[in-house]
Amino acid sequence: MIKRDIVVPTCYTGLLILLFAIPLITQEPYTLHILCLIGINIIFACSINAILNVGELNLGQAAFMGIGAYSSTLLVMRLHLSFWFALPIAMIITAIVSLPMGYVTLRFKGAYFLLFTFLFAELVRVLLSNFWIGLFGGIPGLTNIPRPFIHIRSLLQVNFSSKAHFYYLILILTLFTIFVMQRIDRSRIGMVFKAISQSDALAESIGISSMKVKLLGCAMGCFFAGMAGSLYAHFVGVITPPDFSLHAVLAPIAYVVVGGIGSVLGPVIGTVFLMMLSHFFLRQFGLYELLIYGVIIVFIIRFMPEGLISLPRRLRIKLGK
Amino acid sequence: MEFFLLQGVLNGVMLGLFYALVALGLSLIFGIMGIVNFAHGEMYMLGGYVAYYLFGIFGLNYFASIIAALILVGGLGALLEKIIFRPLTTRPQVALTSLIAGLGLAWVFQMLAVICFGELDKKVPSAFKGIISAAGIVISKERLAAIILGSFLILMLNLFLRRTKAGSAIRAVAQDKEAAALQGVNVNRISALSFSIGCGLAASTGVLMAPIFIINPFVGSDVILKAFLVVILGGLGSIPGAMLGGLLMGFIESFGCLFFNVPTVNVLSFILILITLIVRPQGLLGRD
Repeated sequence: MIKRDIVVPTCYTGLLILLFAIPLITQEPYTLHILCLIGINIIFACSINAILNVGELNLGQAAFMGIGAYSSTLLVMRLHLSFWFALPIAMIITAIVSLPMGYVTLRFKGAYFLLFTFLFAELVRVLLSNFWIGLFGGIPGLTNIPRPFIHIRSLLQVNFSSKAHFYYLILILTLFTIFVMQRIDRSRIGMVFKAISQSDALAESIGISSMKVKLLGCAMGCFFAGMAGSLYAHFVGVITPPDFSLHAVLAPIAYVVVGGIGSVLGPVIGTVFLMMLSHFFLRQFGLYELLIYGVIIVFIIRFMPEGLISLPRRLRIKLGK
Repeated sequence: MEFFLLQGVLNGVMLGLFYALVALGLSLIFGIMGIVNFAHGEMYMLGGYVAYYLFGIFGLNYFASIIAALILVGGLGALLEKIIFRPLTTRPQVALTSLIAGLGLAWVFQMLAVICFGELDKKVPSAFKGIISAAGIVISKERLAAIILGSFLILMLNLFLRRTKAGSAIRAVAQDKEAAALQGVNVNRISALSFSIGCGLAASTGVLMAPIFIINPFVGSDVILKAFLVVILGGLGSIPGAMLGGLLMGFIESFGCLFFNVPTVNVLSFILILITLIVRPQGLLGRD
C-alpha cells in the first residue's frame, strides 16, 4: 500500500504540470477561452466562498466584480495607467467600497442579508446602465478594453493578446487566490471565521468582535471579486452592466454550493465541474443544455448537500472502510 | 392635475395588486419553511401559459382558467415541496441550498417552456374588451377586471387564513413550528399546503396579468425581482406586509413615472427601500 502523504503531493504536482502544459498541447482558441473563463470564475467563486465562511451569502457579489471591472477599465482607458497598476488599485477600490455596504448590511443575517445585498446589486446595475453615461458608457457598456502587455526595453516583450499568454496570467492569479484562501483557512483568523459562522453570539462571548471579523471577511471576498472583475474586463474586452447583475452571481453561487460550502477546494471543484460540463459536454444538446444543467444542479443539491467535495468520503463510507 | 392623480391611483392599484399577489406566495412560503423560492416567478409564467392555452386556444371560460391555473400549478407546487424542498429544510444552510435548488428549477422550467411553448412572446386575448371612461379617467375593462379579481383573490386568501382550520394551522406553524406540532398540527402537510397555495396564487396572477402584459418563457425572472423588493419592503414572512409592500411599490412606480423617467424611478424606489430598511430592518410589517 502506497502512503497517502506521497500520493497526494504527487497528484498535485502532476496536475500543476498538466495545467501549465495545456497551451503546449492545444492551441484551439475555444478551449483556451473557456479555460480562462473557468479561472476567472474560480477566483469569483472563491470570493463568494470567503463571505460564506463568515456565514452569509452575498447576492450582490457580482456588483463588486463589476466595480472591479469598471474601475480597472477606467483607470486604464481614462488615466492611461498600466494594467499592472490598475489591477491592484481596482482590487483595493472594490474592497474599500465593500466596507460601507458591509457596515450597513452585515447587521442582518440569513435571508435578510441575502435580500439586502441583492438590493445593493440592483442599485449598482441601474446606476451603471442609466447614469453618468459619458463615464460608464450606459447599457452598451465599455468596449475596446486594451489587453495588458509587458514591454521592458528590448529584453522582454509579452503581449497578452494571445489566449495562451492570458491563460498563464489567469492560471497564476487563480493559483495565487487558492493559495491565499488556503493560508487564511488554516490560520487563526480562519478559525475565527468558522466560529462566527456557527454562532456569532458564542464567538462574541469569548471576546471576538463579530462585526469587525465579518467586515474583514466581506472586504477580503470583495478584494478578490475585484480581481476577477478586472481580469474579466481585460480578457473579454467588453463590459456591460448586465454582465454584473443578479443573474451573473447566481451561476457562481451554484458552483460554490455544488462543489461544497465552506471548504477551500469546494468552489474550485464545483466551478471546474459545472463549467466543463456546460461548455464541453452539454453544448451538443442545444436547447436541452440549460435543462440538463438545471436538473443536475437540483439533483446534486437534493442528494448531496455537502457538495461534490464530500464524494470521496461518501464512497468510503459506502464501501465500508 | 386631478385627472393625473386619479389615473395614477388606478394604475398604482393595478400594479400594486400584481406585485402583492406574487409576493404573498413568496412570503407565505418563507414564513412556513424559511426558504426563498427562486422558482416562484416561473409559477407566474406557467399561469400565463395556462391562460394562453386553456382560455386563448381552447376557449375555456376565463374564470375557469383562473381556477385551473390555481389547481394545476398548486399541485405542481405541492409536488416540488415534497420531492425537493422539504428534504432540504432538515439540513444545515437551508437558505442557501434552497435558493440554489430554486434557481436550478427556474432554469428547468424556463427551458421546458422554451421547448414546449416556443421562445416567442405570446399575447393572450383579453377576456373583457373595451374601455370605461368616467369623470375624465380612462381604464380598460381588462385592467378593471384584473383589479377586481386580484382583490377578490387576496380577500379569499385572507378569509382562508383567518376563518378556516387549515388557515389557523398555517398561521400557527408560521409562528412556532414546534408548538404547532405539539398541538397536533401536521407540519409537513401544512408546509405542502402553503407551498401549493403560494405557487397557485402566482399562477392565477399569471392568468390575470397575461392579457395585459405579454407572456414568454423568461418573464418569471423579472417578476421574481419585483417580488423580492416587495417582500423586503413589507417584511419577510408577513402576509399584511406583502400586501402593503406590493401596493406601495405599485404606487411609487405609477406616480414616479408621471414625473420622472423609468431609471430614476427605479433608483428612487431602491433608495426608499434602503432607507426604510435602515430605519426598520425587519421591513414595514415584519416581526422582530
